[in-house]
Amino acid sequence: MSPGKNEIKSIDPATLEMIEKAAQEGVPNAFERAERISPCPIGADGNCCSICAMGPCRVPLPRAREETPEEKKRRRGVCGATAETIAARNFVRKIAAGTASHGDHGRVMAKLFLDIAEGKAPGYQIKDEQKLLSLALDLGVKIGDRSNEEIAVDLGKLLVNEFGKQEGELLFLKRAPLKRQEIWRKWGIAPRGIDIEVAEAMHRTHMGTDQEYHDLLNFGSKVGLADGWGGSMIGTEIQDIIFGTPAPLLSQINLGVLKEDEVNIIIHGHEPQLAEMLAVASQEPEMIAYAKSKGAKGINLAGMCCTANEMLMRHGVPIAGNFLQQELAIVTGAVEAMVVDVQCIMQGLADTANCYHTKVITTDARAKIQGAVHMQFDEHHAIESARAIVRAAVDNFVNRGSNVRIPNHKADMIAGFSHETINYLLGGMFRASYRPLNDNIINGRIRGVAGVVGCNNPRTIHDQGNLLMVKELIKNDVLVLQTGCMAMASGKAGLMVPEAAAEFAGPGLASVCEAVGIPPVLHVGACIDNSRLLIAATAMVKDGGLGDDISDLPVAGAAPEWMSEKAIAIGQYFVSSGVFTVFGTTWPTVGSKEATEFLFKDMEQMYGGMWAFEPDPVKAAHMMIDHIDKKRKALGIDKARERVLYDMAMRRELEAV
Amino acid sequence: MTYQLEKKSAPGRDEVEVLGPTFEEGKPEDDEMGRWRQKIASRADRLKYLETAERYWYGKEWYGSEKRKTPA
Repeated sequence: MSPGKNEIKSIDPATLEMIEKAAQEGVPNAFERAERISPCPIGADGNCCSICAMGPCRVPLPRAREETPEEKKRRRGVCGATAETIAARNFVRKIAAGTASHGDHGRVMAKLFLDIAEGKAPGYQIKDEQKLLSLALDLGVKIGDRSNEEIAVDLGKLLVNEFGKQEGELLFLKRAPLKRQEIWRKWGIAPRGIDIEVAEAMHRTHMGTDQEYHDLLNFGSKVGLADGWGGSMIGTEIQDIIFGTPAPLLSQINLGVLKEDEVNIIIHGHEPQLAEMLAVASQEPEMIAYAKSKGAKGINLAGMCCTANEMLMRHGVPIAGNFLQQELAIVTGAVEAMVVDVQCIMQGLADTANCYHTKVITTDARAKIQGAVHMQFDEHHAIESARAIVRAAVDNFVNRGSNVRIPNHKADMIAGFSHETINYLLGGMFRASYRPLNDNIINGRIRGVAGVVGCNNPRTIHDQGNLLMVKELIKNDVLVLQTGCMAMASGKAGLMVPEAAAEFAGPGLASVCEAVGIPPVLHVGACIDNSRLLIAATAMVKDGGLGDDISDLPVAGAAPEWMSEKAIAIGQYFVSSGVFTVFGTTWPTVGSKEATEFLFKDMEQMYGGMWAFEPDPVKAAHMMIDHIDKKRKALGIDKARERVLYDMAMRRELEAV
Repeated sequence: MTYQLEKKSAPGRDEVEVLGPTFEEGKPEDDEMGRWRQKIASRADRLKYLETAERYWYGKEWYGSEKRKTPA
């Protein structure tokens, strides 16, 4: 349900201040558009089929009463498609779109990686040899005395091939627990390649093809896995090799990171290859001198959405805000350029920018916006492209108007908790390990682990769902790992600093956080980095003591403020990997009880994980805690047990049994 | 920096020495702070680290939860 006209739109003071400024200045933005446009109730429930020209066919459930068997029989499209088929097709198309988006991101990275290895992209280099070597070991690429570039050429070819592969299984599936791999094979959902699963999803959901909703939704798992263990994982791993594996660093977040006396450039989107170069170009002495010649004191780079997460966790570039703050950053009147790449970029930016001096600069041939300036980024001449963009931003400083107001709100946050870093932090250089985490789960200090991820959505109060959920989880001793725009919401609220453990976490979790020196809420990366959560969960399984599959772990996932198709793809690969996953805001299959039942119940029997929907974030947190407790009970770690130190006689007795 | 130590009483202990006015805030300022991976310098050390630290995937003797009599 959207916040009403007179209801609060956000719990973030910087956002509220800019919504107010936008209203005073008559500037359009997503918050006011959401107020004017009601979501289509039939489409929201997955009851609208628009895949052929005999429709669109609408097959809504009766409101406020049970459907009769006769009504159910008649609730079909012109072709005879049932509400189940229609809901399942719509759902699978969302998974396919999300997988295609992450996959395309991963593909660009794989091709760039190959170009770097072959010396065709001189602005970049292989920064993390260790990650390169780990992938070589994973994929069976010979290491020996070969140079990093030689290894990278072989790796790059293998990874590029994953997108177009027609047979076999994705190479990264081998990283999963053995039992999980068997479950995927049993249900026929081990992806062959990445593009092939997306293409088959579009074919299966075409008019008159797959019209069995169980089959469609089961195939949806195959497509989702091609994202999590395919496109997303390739993207994350290659970015780590090229730009460095994230390690903890301190930075700041919220609109208050913008600077009144400097040229402000916002980098927005998801793919970091341009932003990496902008970070270099904007700090070159010649460029700073050029900014000073225009009356600015310097150049301030700040991030928005997941490009921001990438730059934050590798370079400490501050974040101006999450998804719903993109237009509001322009409303400050202090942004010279909003430089965008791909995904989650609102077309409304161009309209908002028209009210100020801000230049919206599109940089990717796949993502242009009418009314924006297009400056194509060329990875083969990366630094030159970046310099041209920075120069355009600096030139725009003199056009800044008098209506500048930067909210005085920003918070410290620590980011960069990659799987590798968590492993290192828990055991040190000599014996990096997940053992301390597993031990503290077994002894009950940590109840379980939750991944709270996803977007913002103006149909809910901005950032509120996330904060209520995360605070409830950590209060109940659940360690929270976050990515994407939800990580930013927690960062703004001060949950991503070690001090937050004493203030917000339960006593068990707080004691562990204090001992290790970590916040109770860990920033793991961008939305493509949800693949890091799969690897972390796998490490927990493989370390031992918590079962032999991801579905045995006391873990849960959530996206309380989701809006994008990528979130559905992520949710599907979490569930298909064995994780209970609850979404808030709205649920796109409620128009079919049977299709929803499959996702919410049957999937648990098949894959060990299932979906749930609960718009109340505190109730949703308790669904996650209940699931964690259910898993703890199944593992036999729900009660404190007396510890017995076995002597040799007792050991011999045990072995004899 | 020369630290100034002050003596204070502490619960459960008689007297402790604390830094008092010369206490430094714990915010990292060095760019390299937290960048632990750079500590491993050579390829041999990196491979060794992978074998031990990332033993779940690359260890020669590690089985963890997956040491099973009957393979899955």
